[in-house]
Amino acid sequence: MSYAIETVNLTHYYSKGTVQQVAAINDVNLQIEKGELVGIIGHTGSGKSTLISHFNGLLKPDSGKVLVDGEDIWKNKETLRQSRFKVGLCFQYPEYQLFEETVYKDIAFGPKNMKLSEAEIKERVLRAAEFTGVKPEHLGKSPFDLSGGEKRRAAIAGVMSMEPQVLIFDEPAAGLDPKGRKDLVELIKNYRKQTGSTVIIVSHSMEDIAGMADRIIVMNNSTVAMQGSVDEVYSRGDELRSMGLNVPEITEIFAKLRAKGINVPANVYTVEQGENILRTLLKGGAAV
Amino acid sequence: MIRDITIGQYYPGKSVLHRLDPRMKLILTFGLIVVIFLCKSFFSLGLIALTAVFAAIISRVPAKMILKSLKPIVIILLFTAVLNIIYTEGGTVYFEKWGIAITEKGINTAIFTMIRIVSLVVISSLLTYTTTPTMLTDAIERLLSPLKIFKIKVHTLAMMMTLALRFIPTLIEEIDRIMNAQKARGADLESGGLVQRAKALVPIFIPLMVSAFRRAYELAFAMTCRCYTGGEGRTRMKQMKLKFRDFAALFFLVAVTAGVIFLNIKFEAVI
Ligand SMILES: Nc1ncnc2c1ncn2[C@@H]1O[C@H](COP(=O)(O)OP(=O)(O)O)[C@@H](O)[C@H]1O
Ligand SMILES: [Mg+2]
Repeated sequence: MSYAIETVNLTHYYSKGTVQQVAAINDVNLQIEKGELVGIIGHTGSGKSTLISHFNGLLKPDSGKVLVDGEDIWKNKETLRQSRFKVGLCFQYPEYQLFEETVYKDIAFGPKNMKLSEAEIKERVLRAAEFTGVKPEHLGKSPFDLSGGEKRRAAIAGVMSMEPQVLIFDEPAAGLDPKGRKDLVELIKNYRKQTGSTVIIVSHSMEDIAGMADRIIVMNNSTVAMQGSVDEVYSRGDELRSMGLNVPEITEIFAKLRAKGINVPANVYTVEQGENILRTLLKGGAAV
Repeated sequence: MIRDITIGQYYPGKSVLHRLDPRMKLILTFGLIVVIFLCKSFFSLGLIALTAVFAAIISRVPAKMILKSLKPIVIILLFTAVLNIIYTEGGTVYFEKWGIAITEKGINTAIFTMIRIVSLVVISSLLTYTTTPTMLTDAIERLLSPLKIFKIKVHTLAMMMTLALRFIPTLIEEIDRIMNAQKARGADLESGGLVQRAKALVPIFIPLMVSAFRRAYELAFAMTCRCYTGGEGRTRMKQMKLKFRDFAALFFLVAVTAGVIFLNIKFEAVI
């Protein structure tokens, strides 16, 4: 079986041929399995956004290849077009892409570009709206009349309605309050559970990703610095720190507890997990 | 990438031209442009061309950059040259067929106009190469400040110009971002006829407008918070003072003008 997305020696320069030429990503080789939920982390400027913009052909590689579903997306015009529909990309601050008169029409923009039938479009819009929690009474409203959080949901629905095989979120929680973040994580988890599609989440917040990713890819200086399961990556705290990243605060707290001789596990990445362990500990039970 | 377009083509440097008072540079540029149109003979025009070359050399802006500023006008140059050759008649006839005559006067006029346009572009692009847009608007504000007596809000106009220039790169970045977001939703910006393409711009244009207004409000708010109330009673951080070199430059302009007038009288006019 082919990978959902595969890159082969992928390299991209910005401002090519000028003095400011920089390799934003350099010789990246990645495989993303179908149905996987992958987190991509890295400090600002490490090349995350550039990398994912190659997955649906928004950027053309300067060298190397991008394979979606085993097919080189730059083979011809049709493969490129198909890659846009197979790989849905939800940019940072997606609410700034809203433009239609009504929320409904905006969510329908993608499916319409796919040349689907009216009935199919309607079905998809309603499904995406339900997934993202866009209220039915908002569908007829102008997207500019919604609140910030509601706009974000509507915009995410606009990408989800294309029902791509791979859905990518670039910093989806940026600018949201803690509740908004939590809701969003739930939303993504839910979407994954129900559709079984491949999901890629780009973030520099380790906490958000820890709770949901099957695998983590760490970008540093335009290349892939590490990849592996959450445990594997987060156990290398010192290396992460040297790349300008931090392990989640809760992990730090547990490391300190361990240093004090309290018998708690080291692999705690979310507050929820930590809370459960502490509760059992306080009740006198053994830590799991 | 749309971002690679350069606007406000300042070329950083420390040459005499860079250090010249921007007000004086504006006056010099306009002065020279007027003088270019006073030229009548090849000799006076030659003096201007020499001046342009001289200014380009002392500006230390690489020749490559200056040629780049000429690139957009190549078509116009060729076009005017052809028109001049075809439509101007007089003097020795070199070629005549199909009702088209190529004459000595036609060729002279064509060459003359070409040199004139090139000098014009070189001189005015030297102004923008050696002066930052902010310095330029600042200079315009000061030069126009006498208009205040006619109740024209010179400061406001200059501030608007500065802000507009400042936001060009930001808006270009924004367009880039929005275009990518809509392309990711399958928007097709490249194919179709004129109407279809114009329609395809709607998903770009509306978010752009929305964000431009949002930015404008935010900026106005931020400026108010920092007690900006317009030009009234504002002092400046950077004072402009005319120095010796500025007067020397002015003298240079006067000398060139005198030279042009002298050569105009002394030699036969081309046009
Ligand atoms: N459009 C662009 N033009 C020039 N340089 C860019 C552009 N976009 C990003 N870069 C540069 O490429 C590098 C990687 O950027 P990016 O992929 O946005 O990183 P991240 O998403 O990890 O913050 C950075 O050094 C950034 O400055
Ligand atoms: Mg980014």
